[in-house]
Amino acid sequence: MTSVKHVPIVKKHKKRFNRHQSDRFKCVDASWRKPKGIDNRVRRRFKGQAAMPKIGYGSNKKTRHMTPSGHKAFLVHNANDVDLLLMHNHSFAAEISHAVSSRKRIEIIAKAKALGVKVTNPKGRVTTDV
Amino acid sequence: MSYPASSDLLWELTRSNSSFLVKRKTGGGVKLSRDPLNLRNIHSRKHSGTVNNQAIGIVPSGKGGISLLTKKKTGATITQSYKPSKTSRKAYVQIANSTTKKGYRADLREDAIARASALIRSYRKQTKATKESKPRGSKAKASAASAATADL
Repeated sequence: MTSVKHVPIVKKHKKRFNRHQSDRFKCVDASWRKPKGIDNRVRRRFKGQAAMPKIGYGSNKKTRHMTPSGHKAFLVHNANDVDLLLMHNHSFAAEISHAVSSRKRIEIIAKAKALGVKVTNPKGRVTTDV
Repeated sequence: MSYPASSDLLWELTRSNSSFLVKRKTGGGVKLSRDPLNLRNIHSRKHSGTVNNQAIGIVPSGKGGISLLTKKKTGATITQSYKPSKTSRKAYVQIANSTTKKGYRADLREDAIARASALIRSYRKQTKATKESKPRGSKAKASAASAATADL
């Protein structure tokens, strides 16, 4: 099922924001922490320094949480959950929860196909060949 | 069953917590409803079936038919079933005639017919075969190499 037409999705910053000096010391994890030091050159936004995350990098509200297909993911645990998406198959795609067995995944996928609902992870546990 | 409380009070009571309510944090946080009297499955005052005195529901009935649910003033639901027919328009006309034409929730006409249409469509047999996905990346290379050796 194709999604509703939408404005193009623009990601303003695709790379991760790594913590300052996480490339120098292995004890400094890459998870972002805002530098707070009085002399810190990243904090003071000197030329050539790493960019800091800020609100301006946020995505357009209309395309926020959207997958490249234009759908938003909706977590489903069973075939009954797929029924909820009957009237939303243009805007939401079903995402099968990680703990669902392969037998029930087949049920969910069959239901989704009948209702015209896209499944984001249809291959998980269902295909066996490597 | 008579309604002891007003619709507004019932909505305030059920809007944050209800057995029909399905919340998800993924996709920016979405609230859907399992209520059979909710045509769009949207958890809202307008679409809620338990809260409104008048509500319409379209649910599948056995053997490819659909059922129209409406609410009486007493709160009981009436079920009208439509058997599958060649022309699905008949069902839509009947739905509109038994609700909108009688001044019963005219605001839900479009939703009711859209849902009936979506259900009828889901009963149809899938004629289109699913496309076989082309191999990409390393798998594509491997399949190309195996094809080349087969030719030799």
